[in-house]
Amino acid sequence: MPSIKFTYFDGRGRGEVSRVLLAAGGIKYEDVRLHESKWAGMKPTTPMGELPLLEVDGTTICQSNSIARYIAREAGLAGKSSLDQAKVDMITEGAGSLFDKAAQIFILPEAEKAARKKKLEEKEAPELLEYLNKLASNKGYFVGDQLTAADIALYFNYESVGSLTIALPSLDKYPNLKKVADNVKANPGIAKWLKERPVTTY
Amino acid sequence: MAPKYKLTYFDARGRGEPTRLIFAAAGVEFEDNRLTFEEWPAIKPTTPMGGLPLLEVDGVTLCQSLAIARFAARDVGLAGKSNLEQAQADMFVDEISELLPKMAGLFFEKDEAVKAEKQKEVEELIVKTYTILEKLSGSAGYLVGNRLLWCDLIFFNIASNVENLKPGTVQNYPKLAKSYENVKLNSRIAAYLAKRKETPF
Repeated sequence: MPSIKFTYFDGRGRGEVSRVLLAAGGIKYEDVRLHESKWAGMKPTTPMGELPLLEVDGTTICQSNSIARYIAREAGLAGKSSLDQAKVDMITEGAGSLFDKAAQIFILPEAEKAARKKKLEEKEAPELLEYLNKLASNKGYFVGDQLTAADIALYFNYESVGSLTIALPSLDKYPNLKKVADNVKANPGIAKWLKERPVTTY
Repeated sequence: MAPKYKLTYFDARGRGEPTRLIFAAAGVEFEDNRLTFEEWPAIKPTTPMGGLPLLEVDGVTLCQSLAIARFAARDVGLAGKSNLEQAQADMFVDEISELLPKMAGLFFEKDEAVKAEKQKEVEELIVKTYTILEKLSGSAGYLVGNRLLWCDLIFFNIASNVENLKPGTVQNYPKLAKSYENVKLNSRIAAYLAKRKETPF
């Protein structure tokens, strides 16, 4: 079994989906949470100047999506066939785009922030959630009839965007997505992680 | 017999070209469906997530350009062998792809003053990105490992646009320049580029 070390800040942000995938897959790993004061010193030693990082038996992978996809494959949550994996990827990118948009707004100057936030909350997010709701089955799975990384991506990106004080529409409006969320929370590895994970502001 | 794959995008390179290059490199036939901008609004609500490109294969419609490109790469054997090698190729693609929205923003900017500002930002981002990629790139003439993978094609695609913006840029980065040349000289890619229709973007 390879030794695995996951490094991110002490928050959910772009790291949580990977931690959840590791939990869902029952994969043991070292959960390194870097204090922000240590980042400047560490940054030049990283492959691309960013976190998160995944170290597996001497190889370092960066880029949160690439890390998550690697873990999903190791955990058997990436989709069974190549076509299923592509479906998982497309949903994951869609769900991730919600977080990307929210994160971009977060760093805007105040003057621009309000207008962009309104556009995301009132137009872009409802539109995307509507599309995603159609892509999920009424049993609450995006691909086949088992939990995959796509379901996990939807729930945890939704959760993270909420932490960035963006008022997303309630998942109650999207019955299939609500079932996806329920299935995610019911997975034993994920349920355990949700109970035990450090509480963080983002 | 109809090709196994149908790619739908606008009549442009944009977010469709990565997949076209992947099929070209593998010598795999595909239906290259190009929509006009006038046709698009009627088609948009019928798509999985309201965007292009789309790839139709085995009765399934995929969206999201990188999900499509990665699937095509796997199908034609250009994704990387092991899970770890695939992750390494993926991380190069992720980093390279960060240039795309900034370059698109610059290309479509009409205001001259704003355009000058954006040009400066793009040039700085190119230096930052290429420096990172050069440091991580393999030394065998390819970004990852010792043969052409989809990440080399993705790099070539964006680097070609960078060369249009500022000719000679890639030559300042020896390992990246080797990957770029290897793609350009690949016989199938060379043939594809010779026939490729010129489009503004």
